[in-house]
Amino acid sequence: MALNSLWARITKIDRLLMLLLIMLAVASLWLSLGRAVGRSVLIYEGETLAFTAPLSQDRHIELQGPLGVTQVEISAGKLRIISSPCQRKICIGMGEIHRSGDLLACVPNRVVVRIEGEEGDYDLLSR
Amino acid sequence: MISSVDEQQSLEKTRQRVFMALFIALAIGLHTFEALLPNPLPWFRIGLANILALTALSIYGLRAMWVLSLSRIFIGSLLIGNLFGPGFLLSLCGGVGACLLMSGGALLLQRGIGLVGLSILGASGHVCGQLFIASLVVVQHQSIWLLLPAFLLFALVSGVLNGLAADLLVDYLLEHPAFAACRKGFGYHHAKG
Amino acid sequence: MLRRPLALIAALLLILLISWSLRPKPSAEVARTALIMGTLVEIKGVGPDQKHTEEAISAAFDIMKSEEARFSSRIETSQISAINRNKGALEADPEVLFVLQLGQQISRQSAGAFHMGLGRLIKLWGFEAVNPRVPETQAIKQLLPAFTQDAVSMAGTGVERTDPRIQLDLGGIAKGYAVDRALEVLRASGLQSASVNAGGDIGLLGGHGERPWKIGIQHPRKPGELLATLELRDRAIVTSGDYERFFEIDGVRYHHILNPQTGLPARACQSVTVVAPRVAEADALATAVFVLGPNKGLALLENSSAVEGLIVGADGQVKVTAGLKGQVQWR
Repeated sequence: MALNSLWARITKIDRLLMLLLIMLAVASLWLSLGRAVGRSVLIYEGETLAFTAPLSQDRHIELQGPLGVTQVEISAGKLRIISSPCQRKICIGMGEIHRSGDLLACVPNRVVVRIEGEEGDYDLLSR
Repeated sequence: MISSVDEQQSLEKTRQRVFMALFIALAIGLHTFEALLPNPLPWFRIGLANILALTALSIYGLRAMWVLSLSRIFIGSLLIGNLFGPGFLLSLCGGVGACLLMSGGALLLQRGIGLVGLSILGASGHVCGQLFIASLVVVQHQSIWLLLPAFLLFALVSGVLNGLAADLLVDYLLEHPAFAACRKGFGYHHAKG
Repeated sequence: MLRRPLALIAALLLILLISWSLRPKPSAEVARTALIMGTLVEIKGVGPDQKHTEEAISAAFDIMKSEEARFSSRIETSQISAINRNKGALEADPEVLFVLQLGQQISRQSAGAFHMGLGRLIKLWGFEAVNPRVPETQAIKQLLPAFTQDAVSMAGTGVERTDPRIQLDLGGIAKGYAVDRALEVLRASGLQSASVNAGGDIGLLGGHGERPWKIGIQHPRKPGELLATLELRDRAIVTSGDYERFFEIDGVRYHHILNPQTGLPARACQSVTVVAPRVAEADALATAVFVLGPNKGLALLENSSAVEGLIVGADGQVKVTAGLKGQVQWR
């Protein structure tokens, strides 16, 4: 039948490639599902983006600013500044953040940390 | 009858030029036709013109394939009026991606690959090239790669269909005396007799 | 032309280069932060192009800093500090006059619940000090009579404190005014959409792209959670809460919103959110309503034109102005 003759035009290697492509599609689907929930942490030293990391992985980060080293900790999906060379330590007092759009900063040491990712519940927080 | 070998070669060259011009014209026609089709995603195309790229590859070789693809992209965009626009960049990256993968397949898998296999390589390259440029120019965000699985499956389907179409076309053309000096480059040979 | 593939390729590359440079650059949202008036201020903006937006935001921060220099009672050279030191009338800038007039108006409307002259009282409580403590009752009582009248009397461009115990501390209303000025700059620069968030005092220009801005309201008792969200465009929204600046002694929380009548932290509300056309107004009203309590506070909001709000009482009960009902998405 016509369909058979069409199938006959596909070589063995062609079939192998088709199979590879299907596997690739499935693999990329698997990977993209894993990422969809991810929120990432973006850290700026001054104006430049110094660092990005997923919020889901525990991490300890040291950032260099004009006054010295600011230490940031990501733990259990939350982010906080644990130490900073600034005078009033407002940044440490700001506590933990975990939502998209949340922000922590040590302005004297020019370090800004923000969380970005899937659309957060809100754009800005009034408190 | 043409007797001298030189004249035979120059005749073949002329034939190749003429048919390539026809193929390019056809490819441009398909390219512009595609641009008119309704499409939920802006600037992304199916790549029907690839059928002719495959045909050129099979009958005339790699260089012809590149010439055909690049020509139809540039001239096609001129015709659509798209030449410096993002749609042009998408077509170009798609086309170059397709040609790169097809070249790879033609060179590495020469001894077993068929036009369908080359076609799905081309379609995959087309998709990746388009996503790459889209992530830089259109969306400016890596999240566009989330579309990759859907696009790859689409590439599979369109690749198989385009490949079969090209295979049929090549067999059909080679029956014509104008192509008597040509051979089918890839896949199974179904020529009668 | 096909004989000279090099020329052809060069031409094609040229076309490619031109297309690339002409590619549309979607205007990305620019976000910048600065520490002004003791608060982290974040400005977000979307404009015709990145550089332009950044310049506009820079200019907005500059104007906020100049207003800080004018209004901050912690800066010795500010006009407010000068008025605080001066015995008679002092000439003031139009900006200062504007804010003082607005403050007096709200002060009167709220029967003194909002007062601009609490500087000495706030120092007694020392919320910003390293070791805050509850002030002596006598020390507080001495100051209270000064707060029963207007903080300043204004004649022409002259400003004079009505009582030597009055020390102007414009806190929120000046911060709100600085935000309003920043928004003016952003608007004048041609930005289509912007937001200025000064530690929770929020001013909005346009919407967030096509959609309105979605503003989350902090839950007064559950940190990290929202009470509700609101969708707004071109408005100001300010929340005053008893959870922002406080200290605890013997299990009692002493927060920074003081009742001018008692000299003690106002206890009638947990948090107040006010939506108004300008941030200065919203901030002063939020403070006033917080002190007045849910009933009188709600009445004040309903009576103020173009103003809406919601109040979380001390018991946790929520009251919402008529105009806001149905617009609040509760969590």
